[in-house]
Amino acid sequence: MSEDRELSDIEALAAEHALGVLSAPDRATAELRLAREPAFSALVEEWRVRLAPMLWSVAEISPPDALWQRIERGLPANDNAGKGVQFWRRATIGSLGLAAASLAAVAMLAVQRPTIIVSPERAPTSILNARLDTEKGQHLFVAAYDPDRRAVMISSLLPAGTDPGHVHELWLIPADGKPRALGFVPVGASVAIPVSEPMADMADEKAALAISVEAPGGSQKDGPTGPVVAVGKLLKI
Amino acid sequence: MTAPNDPLADLLPRIAGGDRGALRLLYQATSAKLFGVCLRILSNRDESEDVLQEVYLTIWRRADRFEAGRASVMTWISTIARNRAIDRLRARGPLAYAEQVDDMEIADGATGADGLLEAVQSGEALGKCLSELDDRTEKVIRTAFLEGVTYEALAHRMATPLGTVKSWVRRGLLKLKGCLER
Repeated sequence: MSEDRELSDIEALAAEHALGVLSAPDRATAELRLAREPAFSALVEEWRVRLAPMLWSVAEISPPDALWQRIERGLPANDNAGKGVQFWRRATIGSLGLAAASLAAVAMLAVQRPTIIVSPERAPTSILNARLDTEKGQHLFVAAYDPDRRAVMISSLLPAGTDPGHVHELWLIPADGKPRALGFVPVGASVAIPVSEPMADMADEKAALAISVEAPGGSQKDGPTGPVVAVGKLLKI
Repeated sequence: MTAPNDPLADLLPRIAGGDRGALRLLYQATSAKLFGVCLRILSNRDESEDVLQEVYLTIWRRADRFEAGRASVMTWISTIARNRAIDRLRARGPLAYAEQVDDMEIADGATGADGLLEAVQSGEALGKCLSELDDRTEKVIRTAFLEGVTYEALAHRMATPLGTVKSWVRRGLLKLKGCLER
């Protein structure tokens, strides 16, 4: 018997992530690795397939009849048309309800206007929102761009302690597809990042926000150096 | 390419193409199973309904990401349901799921999913391999998976050091993998 054998570290982490036993920061770190390491992602997938049959024994319970109507009403127009284009172009249209907490966080940020009086002719609806998801649909950041303040308010939904040793760099990807660096988003925090003049004009509904994982100091070139882990389109609510 | 024995696999490309009728068929075939999974993890009907709605919206938006070769439709959508339910559970707070300290329940493993052959067979294989583990490890792994319990909460529930629980689980997972590969 090969009782002395052990799972390799990467496989143990993959199995533990699929099983769901990791603490919040370890889990979030694993989610980030999923988004940027195909080998890790494949291991997690294998373990999910291995463990999923445990769910077959869970008793079936019919949901209330009204739930289907609720789901159907919530369906967005199909947004799968842009398949095959780059990941950030595929960034999802906001159709899921945001987690209440994260929505509240951004709503709070959005109303934290400076004490100057808002000019009444600018409608408050000019604020654009984005939810930044991994390619697998995990929400990692929520953001709002306020053209009046020329700032992106962004909240990291990652628990404190996630992925130490890297920084999360925010990019604006306007209609021309070229990413522009905006700043850094600390893990688990909400920040307002000013957007300077030429970029402010590009932050419209044709643009997306993206987060790349970078070595401390951020990307040293024009675009992301590290992997892009989360993307979301800017949308009017 | 779709698996010949996965009756749900044809629905996914249709859903990806925006066919609401196909989503409805998938919902009719699978919602009771997924609602059961959500309720098992959350023990709360309102929250389970919210999560179930999110799950089918996620399927609607991400049906194009489904790869038939890698997993069955049931595996793919049950994993989405379980993950979303666990997200919701964790949002309640770090130890919200640690309250039940005494006996941990073992699912009976008796029923297959909707008579899907693949599901029945894989369920039997996993059930057999789990039963080859010692009772304690089997309980810990089943509880972790079916109730979304973390290492910390397991250690708390069982009044056992974290490192010990971790090594039980890791050894159990290694044995499970070996057994499933036989």
